[in-house]
Amino acid sequence: MELFFIFIAIVLTQNFVLHYFLGICPFLGVSDEMEGAFGMGIATTFVMTLTAIITWNINHFILEAFNVEFLEYVSFILVIASLVQLVEMFLKKYVPELYQTLGIYLPLITTNCAVLGLALFMVLRDYNFVQSAIFGFGAGVGFTLALVIMAGIRGELEEEAIPKPFRGTGITLLTAGLLALAFMGFSGLVPV
Amino acid sequence: MTKDFLKGLWQENPVFVQVLGMCPTLAVTTSLINGLSMGLATTFVLVASGLAISSLRKLIPDQVRIASFMIIISSFVTVVKLLFEAHIPSISAQLGPYLPLIVTNCIILGRQEAFASKEPVSRSLMDALGMGLGFALALVILGSVRELFYQGTIGNLEILGNWYKSMVIMVQPAGAFISLSLLVALFKRISGKE
Amino acid sequence: MNQILKMVLVLTILGLISGLVLSLVSNYATPLIHKNEQEAMEEAIYYVLPETANYETKTANGKTLYVAKDEGGTPIGLAFTASGSGYQGTIKLMVGVTKDLEKVKGIEILESEETPGLGGKIRGENFKSQFRDLVARQDLTLVKAAPTEPGEVQAITGATISSKTVINTINKEINTIKELDVVKDFLSSGA
Repeated sequence: MELFFIFIAIVLTQNFVLHYFLGICPFLGVSDEMEGAFGMGIATTFVMTLTAIITWNINHFILEAFNVEFLEYVSFILVIASLVQLVEMFLKKYVPELYQTLGIYLPLITTNCAVLGLALFMVLRDYNFVQSAIFGFGAGVGFTLALVIMAGIRGELEEEAIPKPFRGTGITLLTAGLLALAFMGFSGLVPV
Repeated sequence: MTKDFLKGLWQENPVFVQVLGMCPTLAVTTSLINGLSMGLATTFVLVASGLAISSLRKLIPDQVRIASFMIIISSFVTVVKLLFEAHIPSISAQLGPYLPLIVTNCIILGRQEAFASKEPVSRSLMDALGMGLGFALALVILGSVRELFYQGTIGNLEILGNWYKSMVIMVQPAGAFISLSLLVALFKRISGKE
Repeated sequence: MNQILKMVLVLTILGLISGLVLSLVSNYATPLIHKNEQEAMEEAIYYVLPETANYETKTANGKTLYVAKDEGGTPIGLAFTASGSGYQGTIKLMVGVTKDLEKVKGIEILESEETPGLGGKIRGENFKSQFRDLVARQDLTLVKAAPTEPGEVQAITGATISSKTVINTINKEINTIKELDVVKDFLSSGA
């Protein structure tokens, strides 16, 4: 049951994008059309889940065991960079259309604060292995959810007349703010 | 050289123009002091890594440049985090996990890729300083606005009087997004861009 | 081959330098960080049990208890930390009780991510002052209006869940503490 709550919490109540401000760069960058948004979400979720699993092991068997926790950031980011590299090669070979759609944003998953962020949070919250895996997966789902909703809204907005200063970033941020407000309604949904 | 420095403050301001480094911008700007601390910490990492990478640029093979940059950047971030925790624990607690997230701040990797890895040390220094301070400036502005509307103070100094009730939303995600959205729009209007 | 060697060499050297620098900085900073944490904990202890002159740390069953003593060395109360699930995240408290475990002398919020302005008010004096000399012979209860019975705490308007978490966490922890052998000895010896 507890695992279920962790999942719901991270997707809704503590949505990585709308509550923790993680993954904003891709959120603003790729959310303008649905397919790209969804594809990015899936790729990121994949990286996040694997990251959670691998970094948990590194933290548990190396960092904590040898008292070298200060190597946390360096080791984690290297793991993430390698994972993204692998995903890139995989997509290029087996799913080239997605590879094309994502373009420059694929390698940028490395600097997606959400990925490093989830690894850091996992350590802070002292999750065990299974909790970490669920956490990583849930973070990705939440991220994808935010991205897809945003893509849907921006799709509608395209037709509207937006005041000049707000075009592009301004209106996206404003929409995100309203979305964040809406998501606040999920607070208290599950015990965290 | 001054141009390298100044562009980071205004024309190519990382936050308002380039729209980079959004995560910390939204997360820690709950007050002026928090915004300033994060801005300065980021500037330090930006300058330190910029110097390191610029000096080593001829030695780092192209294929491993990203990995090398990440090692250098994340090491400096670890140093900042440790020093903050040791000497200014209250601020370190306020910034929380967002301090280590300087590692993934796209501004830093972006500048190394675009500039420091290609330009001599002196220019890289100016560029890093400009971008870092431009970033800090944006954070200070956003932090002040949010702090002002949340509790009527800026930098813990009373600005609005007792008549002002607080706007709690300002320290929450929605308020962050909306404030930044307004500031970005304002910036665009003032600088006369599209 | 030369290329690959160069790549490996650069990364290894960078890694080693990084490891060296970081371990040096870590060695310097870690004792300072521990000192900061210790000080924060102590501040909380002195806050929840104001008459404390010094304290002794005891551990039992994985729980850490701080036995507060007065000038003469006589135990006057116990302080301990407790955590519970709040509205937005975990709430961590320091609780101070009299040595017979019958009254709460004070609480301090160590960690909380509750909504500022609502649940965040548990950090405020208004809420915390209710826990001074609060009768805890039985479980504390939460009420909406001003308390009429001993052991009642008024919830913060609009922050029932946060308030409830604090009460439940305190109750649970006191009941757990009561079962510890260390505490049982303590109570029976009347020392």
